[in-house]
Amino acid sequence: MKDTPLSNCERDFLLKAIEEKKRLDGRQTYDYRNIKITFGTDYGCCFVDLGKTRVMAQVSSELVAPKESRPNEGILFFNIELSPMASPAFEQGRQSELSVKLNRQLERCFRNSKCIDTESLCVVSGEKVWQIRVDVHTLNHDGNLMDAASIAAITALCHFRRPDVSIQGEEITLYTPEERDPIPLSIYHMPISVSFSFFQQGTYLLVDPIEREERVMDGLLMIAMNKHREICSIQSSGGIMLLKEQVLRCSKIASVKVSEITELISKALENDKKARKAGERCGFAESMPQDRITALKMDETPVEMKDVTEKAEDIVKKSEEPPQTYPLNTRWVGLLALELHELHVTKGPSLQWKSRPYALIRNMLRQSWGGGVCKSAMISPSNMVIVVNGEE
Amino acid sequence: MVDRHGTYVDEEKLTASVAGKVQRVDKLICVSPLKTRFNGEVGDVIVGRITEVQQKRWKVETNSRLDSVLLLSSVNLPGGELRRRSAEDELTMREYLQEGDLISAEVQSVFSDGALSLHTRSLKYGKLGQGVLVQLSPSLIKRQKTHFHNLPCGASIILGNNGFVWLYPTPAQQEEEAGGFYTSLEPVSLPDREVISRLRNCLLAMAAHKVLLYDTSVLYCYESSLQHQVKDILKPEVMEEIVLLTQQKLLEHES
Repeated sequence: MKDTPLSNCERDFLLKAIEEKKRLDGRQTYDYRNIKITFGTDYGCCFVDLGKTRVMAQVSSELVAPKESRPNEGILFFNIELSPMASPAFEQGRQSELSVKLNRQLERCFRNSKCIDTESLCVVSGEKVWQIRVDVHTLNHDGNLMDAASIAAITALCHFRRPDVSIQGEEITLYTPEERDPIPLSIYHMPISVSFSFFQQGTYLLVDPIEREERVMDGLLMIAMNKHREICSIQSSGGIMLLKEQVLRCSKIASVKVSEITELISKALENDKKARKAGERCGFAESMPQDRITALKMDETPVEMKDVTEKAEDIVKKSEEPPQTYPLNTRWVGLLALELHELHVTKGPSLQWKSRPYALIRNMLRQSWGGGVCKSAMISPSNMVIVVNGEE
Repeated sequence: MVDRHGTYVDEEKLTASVAGKVQRVDKLICVSPLKTRFNGEVGDVIVGRITEVQQKRWKVETNSRLDSVLLLSSVNLPGGELRRRSAEDELTMREYLQEGDLISAEVQSVFSDGALSLHTRSLKYGKLGQGVLVQLSPSLIKRQKTHFHNLPCGASIILGNNGFVWLYPTPAQQEEEAGGFYTSLEPVSLPDREVISRLRNCLLAMAAHKVLLYDTSVLYCYESSLQHQVKDILKPEVMEEIVLLTQQKLLEHES
């Protein structure tokens, strides 16, 4: 299905807001959204929430024959699935441009950077090696799938435990998790990708764009780095021209962000390890928030409101005066709000009712004044008392 | 597969295929889902956005499964209704309706694949000018005789059956000869803007609490919200308060 088109008003509003350094959710230019990492009951299953973007990564292992060119190295396989659950624009089974781009970027980020020791995955050289397969499923697309996918993939890889193997001569024994504890993969470093979106031909820059911002952006720069400030991969798409200083500045920002995110991942892994050791129940079901259908909870978004009061006062000064309340002795009709509501009064022979229909008011007044036909009523300035000129 | 009744037979038992309200007419059992795409029927009033300009027709996005179609022969062209559509008209289609424009129209017919064919052959339909669009679920809009209302609080509303609600300032005089393509670009005054903002927030509050929307319920909600500031209406506690008051008033009104 085609995605709902972005209206011109929305596009203009977004671009104008970005020019004034304002974002829809109140973030600063270099701020990331709230990252939440949760683990499933199996080793190697992890969910990452980047704001509303949600992805799941699952790592699995299998013993296979190695590639002929590399007989003593294990095999790493990455796969990103863009399911229709994430966005109506994604179609099941169809390889869209975005899915190819994300797959390629994920492979470059992890495989080419050699973050995992593949030689340790070898069991019998030339015959049996471990194939580690990382599947990333996108569950909700609200912008910046690449960053969420990279965080999920590396966290799942760190969380994963493969079964233990022992070799006795020609025999290979594969132990089940009950017989021997599974062992973690040997990971050298954690590459994490940071996305920068550019607007107005590279004049404005935003980190971690949401889906709306992605729709109006001109170009995207993805930098994958680890916490030791080593760049694992850089990719610029969208065809915009970037200056050298811009790219250098982005890489500096990326290194700060990556160290923060790496800390977050390490903490999450620690907490999960502790919980499992203590025998606590862990897994997806435990970490899901209890969203009841009758509850309506909204988080507060911090939006910059400093200059709003001056602007508002400005506008109020320049606008016309609201309709006035008139004193007694003028023949006219008004409505009394019986419960402290705002009052609308109009004057003149042509009745312009700004509230309930006349018939309803007449009935109301009739009920409260016991049957007399009220042709006109007047209101005192305190808005609480009616003086009725009953003409019966 | 367009399942219009929301049910299917599973091992000789009639099972619902969607989650929603069961409606029974003699032996016909339908399930109408709460959250769904718009399933149009002949005569529905919709508010839609032009997504494409094609040869002799426009494609309109109406929150349904397929884009709806607005044929060139189904619009009012200046110069009277009986004018034949010439080749020149085809070339100047973009001058009437462009990509991104909002229109109000009526469903003329439904194609076999479920796509809707629209028409704007009445003076009350046509391109929409300045106003605010609120996108809600189609199941919240009540079917009524007329969907165009001039609310007494100072704004006008079009409750599209497809869930798109259009709020706009009441035009000073009823421009009948405009023919639907003239959009007024005069600046809208501040009191009108306030009324429209308040109405929009009220609509969102009612949609969050799944209150059926029609002119009376919108008006009651507007009045119940007058004691709060416009921006406060978006807070969950205030929303609940306002909707409770509205529901009370609606119950009194019915009894």
